[in-house]
Formats: sequence, C-alpha cells, structure tokens
Amino acid sequence: MLPSTLDELIDALRVLPGVGPKSAQRMAYHLLQRDQAGARRLSAALEQAVQRIRHCARCNTFTEDEVCSRCASGRRDASLLCVVEMPADLNRMEETHLYSGMYYVLMGRVSPLDGIGPRELKLDRLLARATDGLVQEVILATNFTNEGEATSHYIGEMLKSRGLKVSRIARGLPVGGELEHTDSGTIAQALVERRLL
Amino acid sequence: MSGRNRVDGAAAYVLHSHPYRETSLIVEAFSRDHGRVGLVARGARRPHSQLRGLLMAFAPLELSWFGGGEVRTLAKAEWQGGQPLLTGQALLVGYYLNELLLRLLPRDDAHPGLFQAYGEVVRQLALSPDSGGAASLRRFELTLLQELGYGVSLEHEAEGGEAVVAEGLYAYLPERGPVRVADAEAASPLFTGKALLAMARDDYADAETLHQAKTLMRHLLGHTLGGQALHTRRVFMEMQEL
Repeated sequence: MLPSTLDELIDALRVLPGVGPKSAQRMAYHLLQRDQAGARRLSAALEQAVQRIRHCARCNTFTEDEVCSRCASGRRDASLLCVVEMPADLNRMEETHLYSGMYYVLMGRVSPLDGIGPRELKLDRLLARATDGLVQEVILATNFTNEGEATSHYIGEMLKSRGLKVSRIARGLPVGGELEHTDSGTIAQALVERRLL
Repeated sequence: MSGRNRVDGAAAYVLHSHPYRETSLIVEAFSRDHGRVGLVARGARRPHSQLRGLLMAFAPLELSWFGGGEVRTLAKAEWQGGQPLLTGQALLVGYYLNELLLRLLPRDDAHPGLFQAYGEVVRQLALSPDSGGAASLRRFELTLLQELGYGVSLEHEAEGGEAVVAEGLYAYLPERGPVRVADAEAASPLFTGKALLAMARDDYADAETLHQAKTLMRHLLGHTLGGQALHTRRVFMEMQEL
C-alpha cells in the first residue's frame, strides 16, 4: 500500500497528456526522491499559472492581463485578423516577419467525431471580434488536416455571410520543394488547387 | 513480427484517430477484407513522420499491419490517390459516414459490399462536392442497415407479406417493414409505395424518392442507434445556427 498522498500525486500527474500510470509513478518518485526543490518550484509555478493566466479578451491567447501586449500595442494593422488553432501556430506566423495584423486563437478545432463544434470552441466570441468594424479581411490559418479544413469552412461561411472578406492560406509544395522528393498526396492537392498565371 | 497475423496492402480508409502515448496514434480504419480494425501507428505524431500526412480520413489507402488482439500495429501505409481531399459541406457529410461506421460496425467483421458503397460516396463527395452525392449516400445507409442484419423490406408489407403498391401510402416499422395506412393523418413519417419500390430498384432519379429515402433512413438509423444522438448531427445543427 502506498501512502494516500503519494497515491494522490500519482493520480494527479495522469492529467498530463500521454502520461499513464507507470510514467506518473516514475515522475512522482523522481520529484520526491531526487528533486524536492524542483517539486516545490513546479508546485508554485502551477499554482501561479492557474491563478494568473487567462484568455486575452481580444485574441483569446494566454495572457496575464485583460488584453495581451500584442493586441494592446497599437502598432499592428487592425484591418487584418488571422485565425489560428493554437498559440504555437501564432508563434510560427510571427516568425515569418511578414504579418503585422491581429490574431484570433481558437484554442482548438472543430472535430465533429469528438463532439467538438462551434459551441465548444466559443465561436460566438470570434464572431464578435471579427465584426468590430475595423477588421476588413479574415485570414484562415487553421491546419490542413480534415479538422482544420472543417474549422476553416465553417468559420469562412459564418464570416462571409456577415460581408467580411475571408481568405485561406495556400497549400502546396514546401518552399524549395522538389517534385521528385514530395509525397504524392501533397502533389495531388497542389495540382487540384493550382492557380492561373 | 508474427507472420501469421500479418496483413499486407489491405484496401482501407482511416475513419478517425486519436493521440496515443507521446508520439503515436491509434487509428480506426475500415478495410475491405478485414472490416473495421484498430491500429497503433507508432511515431506517427513525430514532426517529420512520413505517416503524418498519410493517415488522413477519406483518402483511399493500402494499409499493412501485424499482431493479434484488439489493436494491431500499423506497419505501412500507402496513398492510393485518384481523388482530392474532401472540403466544405462534403467534408461534414464525410464525418457523418464515419460516425455511423464507428458507432454501428463491430470490429473485425468484413463487409466488402459496404466498403464499396462507402468508397463510392466518398469519391462522389470528393469529385463533385456540390451535388453532395445524395443518391450514393442513401445507397450507403441502406447497405449499412442491410449488412448489419436489418432486412429492410421495401417491396412487401410487414404483416402478411402483401406486395407494396405504387399508389399506396405506408408507415414503416423498424426491423419489420411497411404497413399500409388508409389516410395521411394515421402516422408519421409516411412513405409512398412509389418511393419504396423505386428504392428497392435502386432508382433515385426522382427527387421525391431521394427525399423520402432520406426520411426513411433517418427513421431507421435513429432506431438502430437506440435514440443516441449523433455528434456529427448536433455539430451540423449548431453550425446552421450562428
């Protein structure tokens, strides 16, 4: 029999994705036996994060303030709104140094088979954000998975019916890509979505 | 690797997948010769995994796997091509098909006829997304019910087995069959003999047949699902609302 507090810790660690009973046990033993200082730090950081982090009222990403620093900066183009699935996607877009508009982070994607629809994603918030009167074009940068496509289709229909200009990021061969070394599915879709010159 | 339990190059579609452990996926696949199978795709969620873009729903694939038990191990996936990915409304219909198969089809039961009907709808949806492939969709639903063992009687009445007549008006009892009614107030939903007979002939040229077939399939599938609502239908409804 394990002490009940240890049991509770192991059980609690299993909330992490990809962590089963064995990994949870390993983590718990490590924290208690080898790194108690680390355990205290982790505990404090979790406590702080859960208390302080919330969603930006404008772009929905994680922030400690009512409005995140990017949305509040005033230096970005308020006529462009780029919709991404996750904060990591937003970071990738920023790394292009080509986009200076605003963002909206969905924090997920439509997945009908998992019962995740407009309500679960709180898409009414995106609708309110996109119809603030300043946004002229919405750029859909959800993933090119089936779920990302379903998400972009749905958001596109919703916003087009409100008279907004809606675009989707392009799909095709990667930059520097050679046909010879590209998978057939990518080439097929690039052919289907070819554009006139 | 056990040679006994090895399956090579099985025609299949991915129905759904979810993350498994750090870097793997559990894939629910629908194959022609082995029915619905659960497969672990090891490392499929690593950033540069070859499998990553391959294991997408609605793309015709050839899958190889090995192992016994409830969930096998995916060895190889090959893209077959010939049709683009689903988009827009057609994609949502695709999710509906997949949910029906995931809910109703038991694992490891081969249904080649149903596989063919599924492939046909997906192809229609991919190649002409606007027409929606309504006829092939109804054909798929009917095949699904028949292959699950619900004889869907369209030409003979439930009681006494009397032949269905074109000018008759019928109610439909799930798992039993059509019952002729005297007046249109008697029951709901109602079907014309003409539409039932057209469905029996696999003739969906008439828009009214298509419409009634949709109602009948919803009626029967609703019964088969035991009143459980489909996720996909709820999500579609929500999508109409905003």
